[in-house]
Amino acid sequence: MNSLCIVIALACYAGSSGCFFYGRGSGARRILLSGIGLLGAGALFDLVYLVAAGLQAGNLPVSNFAQSLTFLALLVALMGFGLIARLHARVIGIVIAPAVTIASAAAYMLERHGRIVLPETLRSGWLPVHVTLALLGYALFLLSAGVSLLYLIYESRLKAKRPLPGPGEWVPSLETLDRINYRLLGWGFAMLSLAIVTGAIWADATWGHFWSWEPQESWSLITWILYAGLLESRLTVGWRGRRAAALTIAVFTVLVGSFLGVSLIHPGHHGGNFD
Amino acid sequence: MNSQLLIVGVNHRTAPVKVRERLAYAPSEIVPALSRLKSAGLAIGEAALISTCNRVEIVGVTANPQAAAESALQFIGVDRRTDSDSFSGAAYRFTGTGAARHLFRVGASLDSMVVGEPQILGQLKLAYAQAVEAGSAGLVLHRAFHRAFSVAKRVRKATLIGRGAVSVSSVAVALAAQIFDNLTDKTIMLMGAGNVAELVARQLKRRGVEELLVTSRTFDRAVSIARELGGTAVPFDHYRPYLKIADVVIGSLAVENPVFTPEEIEPIIRERHYRPMFLIDLGVPRNFDERLNGLENVYLYDIDDLGQVALKSRSDREHEAAKAEIIVELEVEAFDRWIAGLGLVPAIKDIRLSMEQLRDYELNRHRAWLSALDPDGQAKVESLTRGLVNKVLHRVLAGLRSKDGEAGGELYTAELARRLLCGETAFDSPDDDQADDQDDPDDDIR
Repeated sequence: MNSLCIVIALACYAGSSGCFFYGRGSGARRILLSGIGLLGAGALFDLVYLVAAGLQAGNLPVSNFAQSLTFLALLVALMGFGLIARLHARVIGIVIAPAVTIASAAAYMLERHGRIVLPETLRSGWLPVHVTLALLGYALFLLSAGVSLLYLIYESRLKAKRPLPGPGEWVPSLETLDRINYRLLGWGFAMLSLAIVTGAIWADATWGHFWSWEPQESWSLITWILYAGLLESRLTVGWRGRRAAALTIAVFTVLVGSFLGVSLIHPGHHGGNFD
Repeated sequence: MNSQLLIVGVNHRTAPVKVRERLAYAPSEIVPALSRLKSAGLAIGEAALISTCNRVEIVGVTANPQAAAESALQFIGVDRRTDSDSFSGAAYRFTGTGAARHLFRVGASLDSMVVGEPQILGQLKLAYAQAVEAGSAGLVLHRAFHRAFSVAKRVRKATLIGRGAVSVSSVAVALAAQIFDNLTDKTIMLMGAGNVAELVARQLKRRGVEELLVTSRTFDRAVSIARELGGTAVPFDHYRPYLKIADVVIGSLAVENPVFTPEEIEPIIRERHYRPMFLIDLGVPRNFDERLNGLENVYLYDIDDLGQVALKSRSDREHEAAKAEIIVELEVEAFDRWIAGLGLVPAIKDIRLSMEQLRDYELNRHRAWLSALDPDGQAKVESLTRGLVNKVLHRVLAGLRSKDGEAGGELYTAELARRLLCGETAFDSPDDDQADDQDDPDDDIR
């Protein structure tokens, strides 16, 4: 039943990606609306899966990598919805839908291997807070990277004198994308900071020390510093536009690399290996 | 011997802006250039010069199109101090029917970079006025330009070609909206004042831009434009510091070289904290160095780029353009007939004169009994004879103008008719003085 939900969600996301890609040239209204609808349907099935898993486990369903990914996909899809509605820029779906499709596909493949029940030692009120904050941060960073990718594509087309038709519901202005990128980064940074702080408090409560320099912690600190630098460069030197977008994508690549690397190679306390 | 319309030049399709900008004339240079052309002693009788962002053309009248075309191109080269080899490959040469068609298509905005844009008609009217001012417009050019204006009017009325025409200016405004999120807090700088540039500034103002700076070579001009558009005038010597706050810069200055280089703008971009800058270059020659487009967050579009963008939304209007082409074709035919008729003028005059003399002769012969008639009767005889002459003339004209022979055939027929109706020795050949008072042949029918 649970894995069926993931499969259906995956299919919805894949369909949504298809719609956005197919409609990207023309911006055809009906196709794009179908894309948005499928994205919503996928999010709904993810939600059903997570609620069922959560009820079964009796805590927030983030006790394994598959569940975390599903939760991430849900957050990205929901925030993507918010962005599309807020900006009237349906084109954002073209980066959101494939991202959640990949996350869901990974979740589906990893689903059988995950543990369902969290060890007793980690059952704490901090669990939902810490994990939700971390995943929110990741989701925001993912969206900022997606928006930056769009920025780079539009920017290069504008430079090459081949602008996309617009502006309109399909194409937001460069300045809008840049500003949204900045906001997403700011919120993502705030979430990551809080996730690190709550994680430290939780670690102190469980093991008696705030920081143990395990891989996930170190890498989180590294990405935190990189994102801090990114925001700083914008505030002081005024790096924005193409440079900011390229850096956002670069830092996000580091984030993804560390997330995957840590989860798959050196899980530590994170990544579902809680021994 | 037969006069023909001739057009040589380059346009946005045949030559890039790089070439066009070297050949372009400022409005004030046109009348002197026409005088130089007249005194150059080419085989060109009448001449007008059209110079816009998108075309540089000489419209002339000549009896020897081949030689005139090449010498007109050479004249442009010499006059613009440019090697004529560098553009003669890109130049078109239209003669006769082709030239009329081209002129009408230009006027109807079918040859425009943005089909249907309305500015070209004004530019054509200006070119005509300048030719009149220079005294280089004669019978054929008067007719040709007036027909071109009326074709433009007909096309505009009968087709939707002008409706929602994506003009270069609206493309520029749409691009600004793709770069900037909110135009109300942006600053525009208008440098110089071409028509299109003013239009862009006006449309941006309408989209909510509050801050408009205007600079121009002459400060008075800047002040008057600023007042008209609701902006602030900036002296030309001091405009540079303002670039720091200018988000959209519209260049429309008449300059030989770009007004600023990437090296000068780069520090300004840094000072602007890399906020995007949109440079719209409407000048020909271009105002902004094309390397500026390579700067971070700087977007430079020149007139050709804007045209390329506009081109995409063009296909919708192609259907309407097809209708317009039909109108043009009909008018070209009518103009052709008129031109051909010009050659018939001497013969028609002869025939008419001969007929009138015949009538006078006969009336004179019967003067004795005619004078016995009452005034009413005399008037009737008068109108009867005139009617007869006119009817004969009308048939002859209609016969001459029916186009069923090969080109030039009507001249032979006209000569034949003249011989038949006038008799070879009836009158002295009046060819010499008729060259000057050639008139609209249509008048001769009435």
